[in-house]
Amino acid sequence: MADTVTFTLNDKNVTVPKGWTVMQAAKQAQVDIPHFCWHPGLSVAGVCRFCMVHVQGARKLEIACNLQATEGMIVRTDTPEVKEAHKWGLEFHLINHPLDCPVCDQAGECGLQDFYMQVGKYKSQMTRPKVLKPKAVDLGPRLILDTERCILCSRCVRFEEEVTKTGALGIFDRGDRAIIGTYGEEKIEHNYQENLVDVCPVGAFTSKKFRFKQRVWFLQEKSSICPGCSTGCKIKVHARTDRRTYYRVKPEIDETVNGFWMCDKGRDTIAHLNREHRLPQSQMRIDGKKQTVPTAQALESLRRAIETAGAEETALLVSAHYTVEEYEAFFHYFCDQLGVTKVYQWRAETEDRDSFDGILLRGDENPNTAGLRAAMRRVKGRTVPIKNEIATCVSKKPKVVVALCPEVPFTSPWFQEDLKQLAGISHVSLWTCRYEATEVAGITSWIPMKGFAEKTGHFLNYEGAKRELQEAFPSATAEALSVVEAVQQMAAIATITTETATL
Amino acid sequence: MAIIRVPRPPRDANVFAAAWGYLVTICSGLKLTLTIFFRQLLKLEKTETVEWPEQPATYGERFKGKHFLTLRDDGQVRCTACFLCATACPAQCIHIEAGQHPSNEIEKFPVRFEIDILRCVFCGYCEEACPVDAIRLGPEYAIVDTSEKKWVYTKDYLADRPALQGGIHSIKPENEKHTSIGHEPTAKERKSQAHHGHV
Amino acid sequence: MEFTKILTRFENIPNSRALATYEKHGGYEAAKKALTQTREEIITLVKDSGLRGRGGAGFPTGLKWSFVPKTADTVYLLCNNDEGEPGTFKDRYILELSPHMLIEGMIIAAHAIGAKKAYIYTRCEFYDEIRWMNEAIAEAYQAGYLGKNLFGTNVQVDLDHYIGAGAYICGEETGLISSLEGKKGQPKLKPPFPAISGYLGKPTIVNNTETLAAVPWIITHGAAAHRAMGTEKSPGTKLFCVSGPVKKPGVFERPLGYPLKKLIFEDAGGMLDGKQLKAVIPGGASAPVLLPAEIETLTLDYEAIAAAGSMLGSGAVMVIPHDQPMMELLRILVNFFHHESCGQCTPCREGTGWLASVVQGVEEKTATPEDVEKLYQIAVHMEGRTICALSDAAAMPTKAITRKFADELKRSIRGI
Repeated sequence: MADTVTFTLNDKNVTVPKGWTVMQAAKQAQVDIPHFCWHPGLSVAGVCRFCMVHVQGARKLEIACNLQATEGMIVRTDTPEVKEAHKWGLEFHLINHPLDCPVCDQAGECGLQDFYMQVGKYKSQMTRPKVLKPKAVDLGPRLILDTERCILCSRCVRFEEEVTKTGALGIFDRGDRAIIGTYGEEKIEHNYQENLVDVCPVGAFTSKKFRFKQRVWFLQEKSSICPGCSTGCKIKVHARTDRRTYYRVKPEIDETVNGFWMCDKGRDTIAHLNREHRLPQSQMRIDGKKQTVPTAQALESLRRAIETAGAEETALLVSAHYTVEEYEAFFHYFCDQLGVTKVYQWRAETEDRDSFDGILLRGDENPNTAGLRAAMRRVKGRTVPIKNEIATCVSKKPKVVVALCPEVPFTSPWFQEDLKQLAGISHVSLWTCRYEATEVAGITSWIPMKGFAEKTGHFLNYEGAKRELQEAFPSATAEALSVVEAVQQMAAIATITTETATL
Repeated sequence: MAIIRVPRPPRDANVFAAAWGYLVTICSGLKLTLTIFFRQLLKLEKTETVEWPEQPATYGERFKGKHFLTLRDDGQVRCTACFLCATACPAQCIHIEAGQHPSNEIEKFPVRFEIDILRCVFCGYCEEACPVDAIRLGPEYAIVDTSEKKWVYTKDYLADRPALQGGIHSIKPENEKHTSIGHEPTAKERKSQAHHGHV
Repeated sequence: MEFTKILTRFENIPNSRALATYEKHGGYEAAKKALTQTREEIITLVKDSGLRGRGGAGFPTGLKWSFVPKTADTVYLLCNNDEGEPGTFKDRYILELSPHMLIEGMIIAAHAIGAKKAYIYTRCEFYDEIRWMNEAIAEAYQAGYLGKNLFGTNVQVDLDHYIGAGAYICGEETGLISSLEGKKGQPKLKPPFPAISGYLGKPTIVNNTETLAAVPWIITHGAAAHRAMGTEKSPGTKLFCVSGPVKKPGVFERPLGYPLKKLIFEDAGGMLDGKQLKAVIPGGASAPVLLPAEIETLTLDYEAIAAAGSMLGSGAVMVIPHDQPMMELLRILVNFFHHESCGQCTPCREGTGWLASVVQGVEEKTATPEDVEKLYQIAVHMEGRTICALSDAAAMPTKAITRKFADELKRSIRGI
């Protein structure tokens, strides 16, 4: 027996694996079937009754989400009957919906709005007063629930049951009085709250962090990889490029790693990318005074320092927050060309690296531990154990230290404390994107780095899988460089100076 | 290129007859002009022209002049900070910062609402885009000021300034926050909308 | 029309609920006989008898039983005793007459489908019936009719009595299963059908009380005797509940295919003095109303009533007198369905609420005559769009009333 079935969908032959539903097949064949309650990552509920399709020979319309594709089945999504069903389906969804789109954060990415434009465009028959329900219910540290906007698709209930397995949400009461809620005054406290905002096809669940911050149609999105832990979830970063401001992070579908979800911790990884947290320009301590300087000058002084002290007196302190490409360029220049051999890892002193919450979050809070390890193996010729080596670095009393600082503040709270250990070294060049780094005494120069959403490249996640940072936003600070660019610039300066010297 | 020949009208032989028609029309026109001229000269009729700026000149309510924000019954701005005016604005001169209102009824309100009047093109799209009749362009046309900062109108200025005499209230009912889908305004509503504004 | 009383054969027998009385009249003989037969033999016999589900849908019982996978290790039999359809009071009559008849039927059915565990799901409003049923189960256990090694065979049937909380939706088979599982009483998405994956994910057969109670008689008297009654496609007898302003309302056991007019005007004694017949609801609140002209020659069987545009349903014949305002009837119906909708599927949740709201508008004097057409349109788009039939149950009578009594409804909206 064949493992696939072929059926006709709007005159098009579609072949899908056996057991697939018409909805899944339609997604694959890029046929739009409007739906609310169906979500690829959750079980089938079949309650919105919106994905109606016409099956030849069937007595009535069927829902595509629970209709298994069978051999030779003839399905249509565009008959007048189906169109009428869509219009009325939408009308039923909207009769008690408050239509407060102007104050709703979901406006612009709302299923109700999209489908109204796609299959609705009817004149409402509803003239009766609407059913009123509680609005702006505080449901957790990151969640606001508006039960009036809710269309009771039960996606959130199923998410709580199937993904986080907390079962915190339920539908209370019945009929058009039904509301989503938690038991009593309970709040949702787990680390996957904002997925509820994502699965909600309407504006019932909104994020407290993003609440009223921006209208979604102003945002541009670029896909990237979450730098919050070593899982490397594929994400979409939403930002306004005209204002150079990052607003939110949403998960992007990636069956191999994160599926449809991401954790709340990961959603906080963009906060540090905004201008107010960024090191705006290169700085140097000249005569004990911190001054803003051109990046070229800071890099030139670093190069001179290395030249003076010698490669053997230079140490590299590297955190696992950078891409494989950056490590390659960095080590190629400093180790292969300049001959630096002292390379040290920089990470949390104590960490529960192998812990896993069972869904996505891992104890290793560095996105590229595997990548850094591989790069160091190449440089050192042996595999190094994973641990914080800043103390070893300082104990070797190097004269120059080039430090690739950890990027994400909340996964590296030890950063400031660790920096103090470098106080005695004569030239410390911090390559960082964090503004707070400038507060630390004993540092010689600061080079502004690009954030993860601003560069391309790849991380290697906990299992060594390639996680690609695909697209890049222009940096929130114009001066920021990726490590690759910084190294190139440094090499270029070196060439010019050498040339000048030989002349 | 194809040439289309259009038949010309035959020349009228009676030139004087045609000219007579013109003369009559011109004279009747002149008669009207001169009548009004002398009537106004002799103050028999009111003159429409005003001696601006010594005399104040007012425009109709539908004139698209300086913006203002309408108020709720309790004196707060009606604006719900939906950003639709900012979205519609072709000059991108409206800057809004939304915040959480203490009352759950209102939910969202503008913490900051600024119009950079130097960039504004007075197209009136903001007024059209507004779902709650919160922003309007009023009949104030004389927009003069002394410093750069003053050209950016703040929320407070837009809601209440001397010319607004304590602020303008919308005629639209307060509880009807947003017009529902497909709900056509009734004739009565249309009328009240047309007569909005009473600066 | 010749027929033997099957379900009401204990009428006029004193102390009929007692096990002794039941045994005296051949009780548990059928079970004894059936347990010596194979499962296939029983299913074939029930199939041959043409017994159809008496809960409303009229699905052939034998066929339903045959859907249970033969290889399944755990199978459940559930008795749907959650008689919630307005106008229906037949199942409680069976419990009042002879709960042992139901227990015997369940033993046979459980054996036929291979179930070791059976449940009776009774609505909580049946105060006395719950007591009687519990007593009967205790008696049966004591007499060895329930439990292990029944009648010397290795068949085991355990019976539990579960009391619902009084929701109409729990009378729907998957809603009943959800409720029995301890969840909110909401119908489940089909497929998978309960016969494949039902109670606790195991194959489950849900039968109406009346259906199960008819099984022992069929086992004893054979399929042909059952087929001899009723019509070709709807054999057997059925309980009809006649209510409304008739002289002798009550439960009547009549063969299927029995003339409706005869039932109302002869058996139930006709209309009360001074009342004229305005309409008849032939199968409980969810069945569309029929006008007097439509019931002239109408017979009470699944096919004939379906052809007349209504349905036999649970056999609840509700007689509507001439002075009954139809708007009031409609209001009662839509309010009932609005109250009972589980709120799972959008068309039903919002549709029933909308219907109730529009009808409420009549009371508030804000309705317009066009609202009658609107009610019809809402009902049209509620029908056949949801998981269970509650939406249809609300839509069908609304459609019928708004079509057949449009003028009257419009008049009552205008206030004339």
